[in-house]
Amino acid sequence: MQPNPQETLSTQPELSPKNNQAKSKSPLKLAMGRFLKNKMAVISVIFLVVIVLVCLLAPLFTNQDPVETDLFQIEKSPSEEHILGTNGTGQDNFARLLYGGRISLLVGFSAMFFTLTIGILLGSLAGYYGGKVDSIIMRAADIMLMLPFLVLTLTIIAILDNITIPIFVTIIAVTSWPNLTRIIRGTYLSLREQEFILGARAIGARDFRIILRHFIPNAIGPIIVNATLMMASYIIIESALSFIGFGIPQPTPTWGNMLSEAMNVRILRDHPEAWIPPGIAIFVTVLAINFIGDGLRDAFDPKSKQR
Amino acid sequence: MYKYIIRRILVFIPMLFALTIIVFGLAKAAPGDALTGQQLADPKVNPEVYEQQREALGLNDPIPVQYWNWLSSAAQGDFGKSLVFNGRSVAELIESRVANTLYLGLFSLFITIIVAIPIGIYSARKPYSLLDYAATGFGFLGLAIPNFFFGLIAIYFLAINLGWFPAQGTLSGPGVEGFAAFVDRIHHMVLPGITLGLAGTATYMRYMRSEVLDVLGSDYIRTAKAKGMSDQNVLYKHTLRNALIPIITLMGFEIGVLLSGAVITEQVFQYPGLGTLFISSVTNRDFPVVMAITLILGILILIGNLLADIFYSIIDPRIRYD
Amino acid sequence: MFKRFNVKLAFLIFILLLGITLAACNSDTTSDDPSNDPEESTENNETENNETEEEEEPANDEPQMGGDLVGAMDTAPAGVFNPIFYEEAYEANILDFTHEGLLSQNENLEFEPNLAHDWEINDDNTEITLFLEEGVTWHDGEEFTADDVVFTYKSIASPGYIEAGGVRTEYVDKLVGYEEFVNGETDEFEGVVAEDDYTVTFKFAQPNVTILKDVAFSIIPEHVFADVPVAEMPEHPATLNAGEVIGTGPFAFTEMLEREQYVLEKHADYWKGEPYLDSVTWRIVDQSVILGLLESGEIDFIADPNGVPAADYETVAAQDHIEIIEQPDFGYQLMGFIHNHRTTEDAESGEINPDNWVANEDMSDQLVRQAIAYTIDRQAIVDELLLGHGSVINAPIAQQFWAYDDSAATDYSADLDKANELLDEAGYVDADGDGFRDTPDGEEWIVNLNYPTGNQLRERSAPILQQMIEQADIQVDLRQPKEMTAYVEDLTNNTEDWDLYLIGWSLGSGDPDPSGLWRTQDAYNFGRWKNEESDQLIADALTPPDAFDQSYREEVYSEWQGVFSEDLPALLLYAQNKIYGINERLNGVAPMPYGFNNDPHLWWVSE
Repeated sequence: MQPNPQETLSTQPELSPKNNQAKSKSPLKLAMGRFLKNKMAVISVIFLVVIVLVCLLAPLFTNQDPVETDLFQIEKSPSEEHILGTNGTGQDNFARLLYGGRISLLVGFSAMFFTLTIGILLGSLAGYYGGKVDSIIMRAADIMLMLPFLVLTLTIIAILDNITIPIFVTIIAVTSWPNLTRIIRGTYLSLREQEFILGARAIGARDFRIILRHFIPNAIGPIIVNATLMMASYIIIESALSFIGFGIPQPTPTWGNMLSEAMNVRILRDHPEAWIPPGIAIFVTVLAINFIGDGLRDAFDPKSKQR
Repeated sequence: MYKYIIRRILVFIPMLFALTIIVFGLAKAAPGDALTGQQLADPKVNPEVYEQQREALGLNDPIPVQYWNWLSSAAQGDFGKSLVFNGRSVAELIESRVANTLYLGLFSLFITIIVAIPIGIYSARKPYSLLDYAATGFGFLGLAIPNFFFGLIAIYFLAINLGWFPAQGTLSGPGVEGFAAFVDRIHHMVLPGITLGLAGTATYMRYMRSEVLDVLGSDYIRTAKAKGMSDQNVLYKHTLRNALIPIITLMGFEIGVLLSGAVITEQVFQYPGLGTLFISSVTNRDFPVVMAITLILGILILIGNLLADIFYSIIDPRIRYD
Repeated sequence: MFKRFNVKLAFLIFILLLGITLAACNSDTTSDDPSNDPEESTENNETENNETEEEEEPANDEPQMGGDLVGAMDTAPAGVFNPIFYEEAYEANILDFTHEGLLSQNENLEFEPNLAHDWEINDDNTEITLFLEEGVTWHDGEEFTADDVVFTYKSIASPGYIEAGGVRTEYVDKLVGYEEFVNGETDEFEGVVAEDDYTVTFKFAQPNVTILKDVAFSIIPEHVFADVPVAEMPEHPATLNAGEVIGTGPFAFTEMLEREQYVLEKHADYWKGEPYLDSVTWRIVDQSVILGLLESGEIDFIADPNGVPAADYETVAAQDHIEIIEQPDFGYQLMGFIHNHRTTEDAESGEINPDNWVANEDMSDQLVRQAIAYTIDRQAIVDELLLGHGSVINAPIAQQFWAYDDSAATDYSADLDKANELLDEAGYVDADGDGFRDTPDGEEWIVNLNYPTGNQLRERSAPILQQMIEQADIQVDLRQPKEMTAYVEDLTNNTEDWDLYLIGWSLGSGDPDPSGLWRTQDAYNFGRWKNEESDQLIADALTPPDAFDQSYREEVYSEWQGVFSEDLPALLLYAQNKIYGINERLNGVAPMPYGFNNDPHLWWVSE
């Protein structure tokens, strides 16, 4: 891959370990370059940015309040005032679609971020220190993995009596850290005995510094790829939990809430405007994120590209 | 090998123990109990009646005592009585559901295998063919559609509008027996099975494709080809065997994902399996049932993982456990 | 991975996506047509087609033997098919067909003969002697006698009944010798005595105003359960298994596919005459598809406990082959005012002691409660949220009862001016100019509104109520909904800062007596309403000898409803209607005010 002038000028934060810098290009930048060549992934990024912007700038697109109920506008078909009609409480479907997107994306993103934090932290501890720390963390992970994710999540949600967004996000993160932790630990184990790590240790670098400067940058590939795919699955999980009544409670709009509200034969048939848009929104968003994830995987692991 | 299995099981027992403490603690942390909800159904019933029942059920005992009582009877295979199903025994409640969930899980795994593996192989051998595109496209679709959504759409179009498949249930009636019952059961499992298997099929198809591509590109296959081995031979003697290892391992380890999916899918189709029972029990604070299901699922996952290990060693003789 | 076929792939996915969307839209236009049809068909009423259809009807007016029926309910019964242990409406849907009591209620809720054809009550209303039908057989051919009646009541009164999970002690605790028997002091239960095979006497310790209700409990067979200790009854095969559940009813519970199908076959020797139908099968179908199956004819009726949701009414009504029967439900939804809070100690010990209660300052002023009541447009809620399938009620007595007196209660029709007036009068004015009213002391006044999940209409009503109350410049804090169990726990403890709560009650059809819910000491008096006048009136209405005169009770209840609606422990929001959807091939259905499953032996189908 030839150096790209534009890329050299980019203001990417300098994360690369020093020993790699000698090779003039960090793995991150190399990956970036490869990623940008993947049309599908780039299109998806643009697509996702548009979705995010539309949701964030929701007030520009609708002047309806997504949680305001209107007793006299229940389950109305689309009109000028309510582009996508209203739901069973008289709330505006279009406003709920946009504001709901905020929540769904926020839940997906923050749950991903939270899981990532726990995963990196525990994975680093386990992978770096090994020994007792490692075995404690890994046993805990084993116990968590012994249960289907959903069973644990449902139990916790059923027990907490009021579910808010931060609580919901925390529950998801707390129940799904083991996989990521394992992946990160695995990456660390493979790096541990490599020369540059041994070198850093030999010159007496502090643990924290070694982790931050050497391990994480080298594990960044799997981390980013997994983070992306995780976010996609969290968006689906949010909708699925809403469907069985364990999601973020009404009247907060989420795409999952909108879909689950619409789930009966009459609405499926008579009010497609109520369920097709949130359905497509989830679908398209998840699709885009998955494409991006795939693009990132190919970018970080050039070998997979031949496939 | 046996030693390895026994060791795995021995490691598993304390983990199971820890798990029960976690779940029991969670169940007990909840405000109210199963009787709180029932109480409201009929305000004419004197609330003291429920207080007496709580006392009789030991719900007023200190939590460690309750845990110990539960554990000691569970160890003897007695999971107690359901608090919601009017005192019916948990074991009896769960019995039939376990079978239903296993049928559904195996059926969906079956669909996954017969669809994902051949298509994955074909895609790898003929990359960039029309079928390969279709398969890849399907792979992305399968992963991006929430399965409850897919299930409901399937019910709406295929069951209600077209009437091809039953919308709910496992059999068309209590009287069906023998081979007819088998066919009937399969007929009932088509929609939930596909719904449950959708994401898995998509995943395995992609894995299979990339694994086969990997193996096909490896040196020993090139060598085999160079020695003049036929394509068919190369495929079946070398490629498949090596490509299947990661797939089977994945399946074993993904059994938890499958069971999670079953919870949602069963709910969509009101399929009387462990998933629907779990949801209703967890909603109603029926913790003896919740605990029992948790244990059973934990054990199923362990078995899945063990089976994966065993298959692994059969298919790949290089792997030895001792 | 996609390097070379990105564009093609994108195109393919786009096509697939488009396909899904089109398929969805497509079928939606095609299937929309039938629902538009009815308008046309009513216009075309005189076409030949319809006439021939109408002519066919009279020919079918004669009940025909034979035929199978499929009913649907959205939740499976818990599976305890024994009248003395069942607890929920889904099991009732089966037991209604299989078991009978000595008396039953008619459409005016009066008790009339069933298994007992006649009865005598002694002068002071402590004893009732019932004369039983002869020649009644159980499903297994054994004869029904007075011993079965004695056995049923004795089982409910037995020590260990409650511990085994039974809750029906209200039917026996007034009988002579109950205390001694349940405490194990004696083996003889004097409360119910078989005079001979067809005569049975119930003896009550006190004059009993609700004597007919108390003897009307469903009877279980002695010959099946005689040797079964009451503690083992809930797990006995004759309680759990299809084919082994024995009753005297017109249908026997013969087969089941647990949680999916429950088959009731006719009891050919039924004492009121052989049922027309061969079988009735209950199918468990999720609410989301139940409507579709009713339309396709796969199921024949949707009835208790949930019926057709109001929102689906139009769709169902539009189907030519489906008839709708609509009637008010027993029970209501309410918005309660928390009058008093309990102390933490009381909540922990479970003691209900009005002396310890702490007044809830936000709600303690009667004027405030009335003002809030005037802000709520209940008629609009019924019209819009329930789509007219319900009614506004003003007192917590089911409107079907003789005791319900609309005129005695204050009618809180929406009147914002009145609400503002009352609030001004009470001194709740906007002191700090933030647009919301403050307390008379000038402090910020925030009224919180709490509600549980689990009932979609109620969940939807909460934000609507909030908006209505806020119209009177009352600042309302709509709390996050809580899961029902946790909610009830909080509501029972009531140690926090709650002001308004939503809840619904479904009531029995036996007697309108409101005790249990609204007396000061009642556990379910969640608002901790303390009103001596009300307590006295509720007691009066049940105090002999005056209370044996129904018109006296009527008067007392009228007065009580007046007290209730003036002091407002709660504002009754609405009573929902039951909507039954029935395939037109089903005939002879005559639902009672309290339920659909009435006289199923007279149901028949026209093919």
